Amino acid sequence: MINITPLIPELFLLVMAIVVLMLDLFSSRRTVVVPAYVSMAAVIITGFLVFKFGGDAVRWGSNAIFVADSFSQFFKVIILGAAFLAIGSSFGTADRMTHHRGEFFALLLFSTVGMMFLVSAKELILLYVGLELTTIPLFVLVAYQKTNRASSEAGLKYLIIGAASSAILLYGLSLLYGYTGTTYLNEIAQKTAVYFLSHGFIPNAEGTTDLVGMGPAFSVALMMIIAGLTFKLAIVPFHMWAPDVYEGAPTPITAFLSVGSKAAGLAAIIRIFDGMLYAFSHDTMPNDSWGTMMAVLAAVTMVAGNIIAIRQTNIKRMLAYSSIAQAGYILIGVIAASKLGVASCGFYMFAYMFANMGAFAIVGLYAEKTGKKNISDFAGLSKTSPIIAALMTMFMLSLAGIPPLAGFMAKYYIFAAAIEAGYTWLVILALLMSVVSLYYYANVVRIMYMVDSDNKHHIIPSFPAGLVLALTGIGVLLFGILPQSILDMAYKTASSFIF
Amino acid sequence: MVITVRNPVGSVLYFILSLLAQSILYIQLSGLFVAAFLVLVYGGAILVLFLFVIMLLNIRHADLGPEAAPMIKPMAWVFGVVLLAEAVWVAMGTKARFDGVSENFGSVPEVARLLYGKFVFPFELTSILLLAAIIGAVVIAKRTLS
Repeated sequence: MINITPLIPELFLLVMAIVVLMLDLFSSRRTVVVPAYVSMAAVIITGFLVFKFGGDAVRWGSNAIFVADSFSQFFKVIILGAAFLAIGSSFGTADRMTHHRGEFFALLLFSTVGMMFLVSAKELILLYVGLELTTIPLFVLVAYQKTNRASSEAGLKYLIIGAASSAILLYGLSLLYGYTGTTYLNEIAQKTAVYFLSHGFIPNAEGTTDLVGMGPAFSVALMMIIAGLTFKLAIVPFHMWAPDVYEGAPTPITAFLSVGSKAAGLAAIIRIFDGMLYAFSHDTMPNDSWGTMMAVLAAVTMVAGNIIAIRQTNIKRMLAYSSIAQAGYILIGVIAASKLGVASCGFYMFAYMFANMGAFAIVGLYAEKTGKKNISDFAGLSKTSPIIAALMTMFMLSLAGIPPLAGFMAKYYIFAAAIEAGYTWLVILALLMSVVSLYYYANVVRIMYMVDSDNKHHIIPSFPAGLVLALTGIGVLLFGILPQSILDMAYKTASSFIF
Repeated sequence: MVITVRNPVGSVLYFILSLLAQSILYIQLSGLFVAAFLVLVYGGAILVLFLFVIMLLNIRHADLGPEAAPMIKPMAWVFGVVLLAEAVWVAMGTKARFDGVSENFGSVPEVARLLYGKFVFPFELTSILLLAAIIGAVVIAKRTLS
C-alpha cells in the first residue's frame, strides 16, 4: 500500500479549488468576496499542512516519487505566499470582471497545486505533469480580460511559446530516459554517474586517459532541459515572452507569474541539476558540465535584463525586465552547486517574493484608481499618498539590493556562494549590473519624490490590498534586518541534497 | 506537409497520415495496443473532430492572411538542416545501450499495470490537469451574456 500522507496538503488545496468553483455556482450574492476569502483561507491552511505532513516521501518500491523534504517545504511556503498575496491584491481586478469570478480563483489554486507538485516531484513524468498543471491555468489567467486586446494577445503568446518550450523540455527528458531507462531522479543520478565512471575515460597511447564524456546525446539532453526550464524563469534568450505577457496580463497574475511560477521552475532546476546531475556540475567533470552553460546564460541574462529595463517607460514592462535580471542573479546560486548556493537561492526567492509582490500590488492599485501605467505617471505620489510612495521606495530599493532591506542580504549570500564556488568573474559582472539596475529602480523613486505634478489621486487601498501591502512591507524590512531565522531554514533545505 | 500546406483541411489530413506512420513504428516495436490506440483515439476521434471544426469555421482562402515573411522560409530550411545534422550527430555519437524490453511490452495488461501502478500519481494528476483545462476553455470561449 502506498503511503499518501505527504500528499495531504496538495490534496486539500485541490479539494478547496473545486469548493471555490462550486461556491461561485451556488452563492446567490454575486460578489467576489466569498470565493476570494475562501481561497485565501485555503492557502493559509495548506501552509500549515505543509509543515504538519512534511519530512516523508511517497514511494514506489524503493524509489521516491514525491518528497516532502525541507527543501520542498521552503519553496512551497514561497509559492503559497505568492498565491496568498496574488489573491489578496486581485480583489479589485476580479471585482471589475463581469463574469467567471469564481473560476479566476479556482484556476489560481489549480496552478498553485501544480507548482507544489513540481517542487516535490522526484520522478520525471510527475514533474512534467506538474509543470503542465502549473502552466495551463496560467495561460487562461493571462488572457482573462477577454475584452482587452493586450490581455488576449499576451495569453496567445504565452500559450504558443509555453507549448513549444514544454515540448523541448519533454524531448530532453525523454533523451535522459533513453540514456538510463528509468524516470526516477535518484536512479538517473546513479546510472549516469556509473556510466561516466566506466565509459567516460579511455586509455590512450601515452598511457594517460582521454576524457570522452557522456556522448552528444547527453549534452543535447542537458541543453534541452535547461532551455525548457529556464523558459519558466525567463532567462535570456528564453525571455521573449515575458515583457509582453507581463504587460498584458491582469496585474495580480503578472505578480503571481513572476514569483510563484519562477519559484517552482527554480525548484525544479535545483532538483534536476543540483540534485540529480550534481556529478556533472562545473569542477567535477569538465566535459558535459552544465555549470558553464548556465553561467553564460546567467551572465547574458543579467546584462540584457538590466540594460533593456533602463529604456522602459511602462512600469509593468520595466518590472518585467527587472524580474528577468533578477532571475539571472538567482541562477548564480544554482551554478554554485553547494549548500550555500541552494540556501541563497531559497533566501533570494523569499526576499524577492515580498518586494516583487508588493511592487506589483502598488502598480495594480495605481492603475485601478487612475488607469495610468507609465513610470512618469507616478509623479507627485509622495504628496498625495505618502505611505504608498514610501512602500514603493522600499520595494524598489530592496529589488536593487540596498541595505538594510531583504534584497541586500539575498544578493550578499548569492555572491558569497558564487565566490566560494570560484565564479569570481560572474560576481564582478553581477555587481556591475546591480549598479546599473539602481538607475532604473531609483528613477521610480526620483519621479515619485522629486517631480511635481498636478496629480490629485489619493490612493486608498481596500482592506485586502492594504493587508498585502502591509505584509510585504513588513517582510522586506524585517527579513532585511533579521534574516537569521529564514536563513537557517534555507540552509536546512540544502540537507535534501548530497553535496 | 502538415505545416507547409496552406489549406487547413489538407493540413489535418496530412497529420492523420503522419499519425498512421507513427503507429506503424509502434507496431514494429511490438506495441500493438499503443499503436491501435493512436489510430483509434488520436487519428480516428480527435483529428476527425478537428476536421469538423475546421470545416464548420468555413475558412476561405482570403481569410488565411498573407504569406509568411519572406525570410521565414530560408530560415526554416537552415534551422531544419542544422537540427537534422544534430540528430544524426547524436545518433552516431551515442552508443546505444537499451535494456531489453519485457516480454509482454505494449500489451493491454502491461500498459494498465504501468498506468495504475508505477505511474498512478502522474495519471491521476493528468485528470486534474484536464479539469483545469476544461474550466479554462469554458472561461475563454464562452460568450458574455449581456
